[in-house]
Parts: sequence; structure tokens; C-alpha cells
Amino acid sequence: MSQADIFVILRGLPWTVALTLGAFLIGSIVAVPLLAARESQFLPLRLFAMSLIQVVRGIPPLLWLFIIFFGLGMSYFPISPFVAALTGLGLIAAANMAEIYRGALKSIHHGQWEAANALDLGRLSTVAFIIAPQALRVALPSAASYLIGLMKETAVASTIGVAELAFQGNRLSQLTFQGLEVFAVVGLLYVVLSLPVAWLSRSADAYLRSKVAA
Amino acid sequence: MDGAVLYLADPPQSSQDRSNGGIMMEQGSNGTVIRLRALSKHFGAHTVLDAIDLDVRPGEVLAIIGPSGSGKSTLLRCINYLERPDGGTITIGPTTIDASMPVERAELSKLRRRVGMVFQSFNLFPHMTVLRNVSIAQERVLGRSRAEAEERAMQLLSRVGLADKAGQHPGRCSGGQQQRIAIARALALDPEVMLFDEPTSALDPELGLEVLAVMRELADSGMTMIVVTHEMGFAENVSDTVMMMADGDIVEKGSSNQVMRQPQQERTKRFLRAVHDR
Ligand SMILES: Nc1ncnc2c1ncn2[C@@H]1O[C@H](COP(=O)(O)OP(=O)(O)OP(=O)(O)O)[C@@H](O)[C@H]1O
Ligand SMILES: [Mg+2]
Repeated sequence: MSQADIFVILRGLPWTVALTLGAFLIGSIVAVPLLAARESQFLPLRLFAMSLIQVVRGIPPLLWLFIIFFGLGMSYFPISPFVAALTGLGLIAAANMAEIYRGALKSIHHGQWEAANALDLGRLSTVAFIIAPQALRVALPSAASYLIGLMKETAVASTIGVAELAFQGNRLSQLTFQGLEVFAVVGLLYVVLSLPVAWLSRSADAYLRSKVAA
Repeated sequence: MDGAVLYLADPPQSSQDRSNGGIMMEQGSNGTVIRLRALSKHFGAHTVLDAIDLDVRPGEVLAIIGPSGSGKSTLLRCINYLERPDGGTITIGPTTIDASMPVERAELSKLRRRVGMVFQSFNLFPHMTVLRNVSIAQERVLGRSRAEAEERAMQLLSRVGLADKAGQHPGRCSGGQQQRIAIARALALDPEVMLFDEPTSALDPELGLEVLAVMRELADSGMTMIVVTHEMGFAENVSDTVMMMADGDIVEKGSSNQVMRQPQQERTKRFLRAVHDR
């Protein structure tokens, strides 16, 4: 495999990174109102959020991208492959992050809510200053491992023509007939991408732990 | 040991002189700071509080004793609406809340600001420094500036003998220290009444002592207190009045001497005997 071939593969890297971080960012933000709806006192809202989360998580990501790109994109409004993939993966990330946040929220001892209530901190202050900082800490390791999972998941975007790593690898292997070498390099790049995430998550976790440790 | 424990032997004010160190006391019309009327709470078909009537005078220290499940915690938690009562009224100073009606957020706020609460499990905020634990509600609830809130927090931490812990996280403090921080945190909103739910039950006897010393100092300073406790020593020696509860009812209530030494009710006698035999 020539150096030029490697550069071809590397051209997929920014797309993979953009798709991963973009979808994760969308997911992390959209998950907040989604969780708020999921935990709402208002039953219809709660049911809506619960079914949305179930449906989004229940359908394979590949199918979501097809629905958005071929289904909606081709028949209703034109949409680029990248935006379609970002939308689909962002939606999936939102549903998954909502569940991660929810698990973290449930792990906070109810005594924390009670202490905040007894101090007359309003609901917003309680969530913002007491609950969320603790819940985010709990969510951090799961969120980081989800981020790595999501990065691998972005490979499905190649099926609708986003020129990310897997797409470039696939194209190159068809041109060069050197599938093994090409996909080995692609695989290695995924691993390399995951390393800083794992490292950052571990050190952030250790730092936060040391701050509140018993 | 620190200053707080010394007060056990040498209280800063005699208990005759309960002048409430400078805190303005708002009183109900007939000299009660807490008045409960027909306060009731059910969990399903189970009556946990059966129409409780209770008056607490300003500066009074009331100990609540009674067997497990008798409704002591529920009573405390209903007083500041951590648990919503099903009926009856709660009057704290000039604020009255009728539990049979929907309660407005502003009324609830008034109630909660007048009442400080200390939990058996401390419930400090583990992600904040000790100082922040004591200052945050002052800023968010009373609207004090950061500087003002931290100055007051330092005063309160000194009062419980823990000024040197201000910059640490609660996880680095012993249980007894954590509970004293929790007391400082509750005092930070300048409450008229302090509620304690078994504040020493989660502690070794020795660590419990330092918490009891702080509570005693608080009592001597004139704070109105309701203390659910299994510490018969506290009920007998620190509290003014003792109330015995069983099955969601008040079995008897009287001066601490009377209830602890000459209980009138068979149920109280049985309970005290069981406690002493342990
Ligand atoms: N959230 C709840 N749901 C159902 N039942 C409850 C709830 N909280 C308390 N109870 C019941 O109410 C009764 C009184 O409970 P409470 O905690 O007030 O008792 P207590 O006197 O404080 O007991 P202890 O000395 O064990 O703390 C108990 O029978 C308890 O099981
Ligand atoms: Mg209890």
C-alpha cells in the first residue's frame, strides 16, 4: 500500500471525527429536555418521551439513516448525506444519552434532594447546583464508553455516501484489491481515535474522584 | 478536642438565660413558635400521623421519643413539608399552612426558611467544599452576596468548631464533623426552629458526643428545637419537654423530668424500660 493510499484513507478521518463529535454534542444536549420530558409529572409528555426513546433505540442505526436520507431526503426535502447521518446519529445519541443521564440521576441519593428542599432551594437551583454536578460525574464513564461506541457506529454513514473512514477504506480496497491491508489501517485509525477519549475519561474521573473522596 | 465539646462542661450561657443570641423571634399570638393542629398523614390505609396537636414555645427544646415506626420522622418531615400531610394545619411564627388546601410555592418558602433540618444521614453535598455547603443556600435563597454568605458561613463553622475544614470536601471529614457541618448549613438561613431527626444515630458514641455538645450549645443560645432521639441522656438532661409517640399518636408529653422519671402511661414505661435494658 502506497503512501498516497494512506492519504486517501486519512481523508476520511475528519468526517469520522466531525460525525462522532457532532452527533455526541447533539445527543448530549437534546438528551436534557428529553430526560426532563421522560421524568415529567405530565403523563402524556412522559409517555411520548418514553416511546420516543424506545423507538429510537429499538431501530437499527442503519435503518434510521435510510429512513432519513432515502425516505425523507429523497421524497420531501433534499438533504446531504452528512447532514442526514448527523441527524440520525444525533437522534440515536440523544436517546442513549437520556438513558445514561437517567441512570446517573437515579444513583443520586434522595437525601440530596431532601437536603436541598429543606434549604428551600428551588427545583432549578437544586438540579443545577446539587444534582446535575453529581449526576454528570456518575455519567462520565458511561458517556465516554458510549462516545467510543458512537465513533464506531459512524461507519454506517458510509452506506449513504458520507466519505468517512470506512467509506474511504471500502473505496480503496475496491481500487487496489488490498482489502486486508486497507482495512487494517482503517481499523488502526479507529483504535487510535478511541485512545484519547478513554484516557481523558479516566483522568477526568480520577480527578473528580480525588476531589470528593472519603 | 475542639471548642464545641468544652461547652458540655461549661455552657456559654446558663439555660435560665435563653435569650436567643440576637435572632429575631416572631411569635404566634399566644407565645408559640410552632403550632400543629390535627396534623394527619396516611400511607395508603396506614395512618402514620393521627391528628397530631402540638405547641412548641420559643426557646423550647422538645425531644420526641418512641418505638420504631411510630411516626417520629414523618412528623418532622411534615413540619417542613418534605412529606405532604393529608390534613391539619402547621403554623410556624406568622405563617400558617392548611394541608387540606393546595399550597403556594411562596408560602412553602416562608415555612422552609423558618425551619432548619438536620438528617440522620447528614446529606451534605459531597461535590462542594464545606464552606460552599454552608454558603450556597444563603446566596441562592436569601440572595446574599458571595462574600457576605461566606463570612456568615465561616462564623457558623467556627461556632460548630470546624472553621479549619472550610476548604475541604465533606468526604474528608468524620461523621461527627459532617453532622456539625450539617447543623451549620441548616443555621445558615437563620431559622427560628431547628428539627433534628436522630442526628447521632449514624455515629459512634464518641462522635455522637461532639454533635450533642453543639446541639446543647444551640439549645443554650435559645434556639427552638425539636429533636427525634434515641439518646435518653439528651431527652433527660438537655430537652425541656419530652413527647412520647406510638402508632402515630402522642402517648404523653410533659417536662423532661416528668416523662423520663415519672411516666404516666403504661406504654411510655414499657418503652423506657426496654431502652434501659438494652
Ligand atoms: N414513604 C413511605 N411510604 C410508605 N410508608 C411509609 C413511608 N414513610 C414512612 N412510612 C411508614 O410510616 C410509619 C412511620 O414511619 P417513620 O419513619 O415516621 O417512623 P419513625 O418513628 O421515625 O421510626 P424510626 O425510629 O425507625 O425512625 C412506618 O410504619 C413506615 O413504614
Ligand atoms: Mg425515623
